[in-house]
Amino acid sequence: MKHLTLADEIVVLMLDDTDGEIRPDCIAVATVAIAGGILMELALLGRVDSDLQTLFVVDPSPVGDELLDAILQEVDAETEKKSSAWWIDRLSKRHGDLVDRVLARLVSAGILRVEERKFLWVFSRRAYPQVSGREDREAKGRLMAVLFNDEVPDPRDTLLLGLAKSTDVLAAILTEEQLDKAAPRIEEVASLEEIGRSVGLVASEIRTAMVTIMMAHYP
Amino acid sequence: MEITSRVDGNLIQFNVVGRIDASTSGNVESAVNTAIGGGSQRVIFDMSGVDYISSAGLRAILVAAKKAKSAGGGVAVFGLQAGVAEVFNVAGFGKIIPIVSSDAEARAKLSA
Repeated sequence: MKHLTLADEIVVLMLDDTDGEIRPDCIAVATVAIAGGILMELALLGRVDSDLQTLFVVDPSPVGDELLDAILQEVDAETEKKSSAWWIDRLSKRHGDLVDRVLARLVSAGILRVEERKFLWVFSRRAYPQVSGREDREAKGRLMAVLFNDEVPDPRDTLLLGLAKSTDVLAAILTEEQLDKAAPRIEEVASLEEIGRSVGLVASEIRTAMVTIMMAHYP
Repeated sequence: MEITSRVDGNLIQFNVVGRIDASTSGNVESAVNTAIGGGSQRVIFDMSGVDYISSAGLRAILVAAKKAKSAGGGVAVFGLQAGVAEVFNVAGFGKIIPIVSSDAEARAKLSA
């Protein structure tokens, strides 16, 4: 792995630093964030582009990444014009194993390690502690720089912030005071990129649906 | 897309005509890189001839703004057609760079 893609980075950020598991607040929207991260990476690599109505392939040539190329091929095969939000929803539903696939590639790259754990003495579950934590620190450092420096943000950092906002990762890595202080800047930067806004929209719809279901069961 | 420019001291004004998308945004970035490398710190885009801008196009403007600010200057745009203005507005670009209605206003913003 030459460098972490946005999909890889958001998975690293969604992992709880202490137990190596996806943070509970992120679970429901994790595949949405990864699908969005893949499309964002393809956009930065000049393979897809988008506007307010559609997301489209501009160059179908492979980028040399198995996961990204599979999604690129899938988007390219669609004959009808669809929006970014439609694609994010579609990809997250069709590829329910996205979290596991990204975790596996991060393990292969030596960024995470696998730990088999037991709970209630019977059930087993996997945790993914970070090997050095360097990638997590680097991603968090970039987010902090975007939020607390008044610079024009870099597109990659803008996109990562959009994913971090949509997954509520920011609430986990910032103090309440920092979150309040950064709130206007988070809105300002996260809205800059169309795919970032679409990830936020789809994630918000999922959270709303979950609340509706919970209210129906526990009025 | 066609892009022409006019230099005035450390200010350069690009006149862009056509679509700014993934296939043309590289030309905008190259033009800006050359301009900033040549000493232009203040960059103005006359967008009155631009009838379409995609996410890749907006990204090129964002990168231009970052580079110009790093060089001690900035970017301003003017003359947005309605469809293009909507794209800028939805993205909230007005909070990052001045979006104005005339060449004179753009110059004034970058002189402030």
